[in-house]
Amino acid sequence: MKVIDGLKGIEPGKLVSVAELGLPVSGRNGLLLVFWKAT
Amino acid sequence: METEDACQAWKEEYQLKFPVLPDSDGTLFRAFTNGWVPWSVLIGPEGRVIFSENEFDESGFSAAIRRMYQRPTAKGLTRPRAVESAGRTVVLGGGTGGLVAACELRRRVGAGHRVVLVDRCAEHTFQPSLLWQMVGQRCPQQFRRPLNRLEKWGIEFRNAEVEQVDLDNKVVRTASGDLTYDSLIVSLGAQLAPGTVPGFEQMTYNLYDLGGCAQIHAALEDLREGTIGVLITAMPYRCPAAPYEAAFLAEAFVREKGIRRNVEIHLFTPEHAPMPVAPPAVGDSIADTLAARGIRYHPLFTFTELRPETREVVASDGRSHSVDLLIGIPPHQAPDVVRSSELLGVSGFIHVDPRTLQSDHDDVFAIGDVATIKLPNGKALPKAGVFAHSEAKVVAQQIADKADGKTSHAAFEGKGYCWIELGDGRAGFAGGDFYADPDPPAQDETTRAAAALGQGRL
Repeated sequence: MKVIDGLKGIEPGKLVSVAELGLPVSGRNGLLLVFWKAT
Repeated sequence: METEDACQAWKEEYQLKFPVLPDSDGTLFRAFTNGWVPWSVLIGPEGRVIFSENEFDESGFSAAIRRMYQRPTAKGLTRPRAVESAGRTVVLGGGTGGLVAACELRRRVGAGHRVVLVDRCAEHTFQPSLLWQMVGQRCPQQFRRPLNRLEKWGIEFRNAEVEQVDLDNKVVRTASGDLTYDSLIVSLGAQLAPGTVPGFEQMTYNLYDLGGCAQIHAALEDLREGTIGVLITAMPYRCPAAPYEAAFLAEAFVREKGIRRNVEIHLFTPEHAPMPVAPPAVGDSIADTLAARGIRYHPLFTFTELRPETREVVASDGRSHSVDLLIGIPPHQAPDVVRSSELLGVSGFIHVDPRTLQSDHDDVFAIGDVATIKLPNGKALPKAGVFAHSEAKVVAQQIADKADGKTSHAAFEGKGYCWIELGDGRAGFAGGDFYADPDPPAQDETTRAAAALGQGRL
C-alpha cells in the first residue's frame, strides 16, 4: 500500500554508511531492512 | 506513525527474532523507499545496496543473500550445491511456471548446463496483482520485473516470439534465431482470445489484462450508479477464484465510495457452483459470501452473445441482463505455437503425465496453464499459479537428476491452495489434495477457512 507520494527509493549500487543509520545493530555481515506497517 | 509498543506487539504476534523498531518520524522510510510498504533493502557488508524492492520475494532474497556471502576463489565463484553437467534446457514462457523452473534448475545444475528462458515480453507480470490494480491498490511498476534480470543469476534470456517447436530435431525456432535443447519446458500459459467473442472489445473490460484492469479502475472511479457484471465467457479459465474476487473487490470499492445502494452487482458463470473442482465446502462458502454481500449469482449461465447496442449479456436459455460496467473473463486457449504443433492434445492443451509432467514427447515437459491433467474424478486440474509453481520445481529436479545420471523420484502430488481476496483487506484460504480419489478432501485449514470465509480471516 502507498503511504507517501513522490519518493524514489534508494537504488542498488549506492553506498550506505550503516553506522550512521543510528540503528541498534552490530556486526559486519550486511543488513536487511524491511519496512512494514504494523497498524 | 508506529510506536514502540505497536512494534513490540507486532513482533510478539509473529514471534520474530530480529529487532522491530519504529521509524517514528519516517526519516529512514523516506530515505530508502519509494513510498510503498512493504519495502525491503539489503545492504552488503561493504555498505553497498544490493536489493531495494517492493513486495517480498523469497527466492530473490535467498539468491541475493547467497551471492553476498560468496567470495571469489582462485578458480572463480563457488557453487556449492550444483552438480557439474553439460546440456541445455530451454524454458518457454516467463510466467510463474517458467520463472520458477528456470531458477530452480539453475540452482541444481552446474555452470556447464545452459538454462535459457524465452518470452516475447521483456517483463514478467505477476498476474495475481491485476486484481489489486483493478481497484487502484497496485500500479504496474510494482508487479512487473524485467526478465533480463535473470542474466545476473546465470539464466540466459531471449526476448523473442516462439514460432515453432520442432520436436523431431529438438529445436525451438524463435523470431531471433533457433535454439537446440536437451530438455524443453513448455510454460507458455493459456492464450486469451477475446476476439473470438463478438462485442467483447466493445462492451467488456478484460480482467486478465493490464490495460483492462486499468480501464476497470477508471470505470469504477467514474461510476455513480448502475449495474456491474462479472462474466465468465467459457471454461476453462485460469485462476478459478479470480472472477469471484473481482466481484468482492468491486463490491467493497463501491461500498467504500458510498454508492453501494445505487449499484447492482451480478456474476455470470457456466459453472454450477463457485470453484467446482475445489472441495464443496469452499464453493458453498463463496456462494454464501456472495449472497451476504448482495452480489447476485447466476450459475449455469451458458453465455452465447453480447449485444453492445443494448449492453446485454445473453445466455443460451434466453436469460439476458443489461450491464453498465462489464468485467469479462475471455475464452482461454493454448498458444498458437502449441496449437500448430504435435504437442496439442484432444483437450485443446498439452496432455502430461500427472506425476512427472512429461508430455508424450521425450524430454519435453509442460507445466502450468498450457498443460492439462486429468484428475481421478474425471475433471481437469484447475489452472492456477500455485500448481505451475509446484510443477516447475518437480520438473527442475527431474531434469537435474537426469543430468546427474540419477533416476528421479521427483513427482507432482496435486496439492494446491489459494488465497481468496474478499475486499476490505480480508481474504479466505482454500486448499486441497486434488489427486485424491474420488474427490479432493478439504485440508483442515480449508474447512476452517471455508467456515471463516464469511468473516474473511487471514
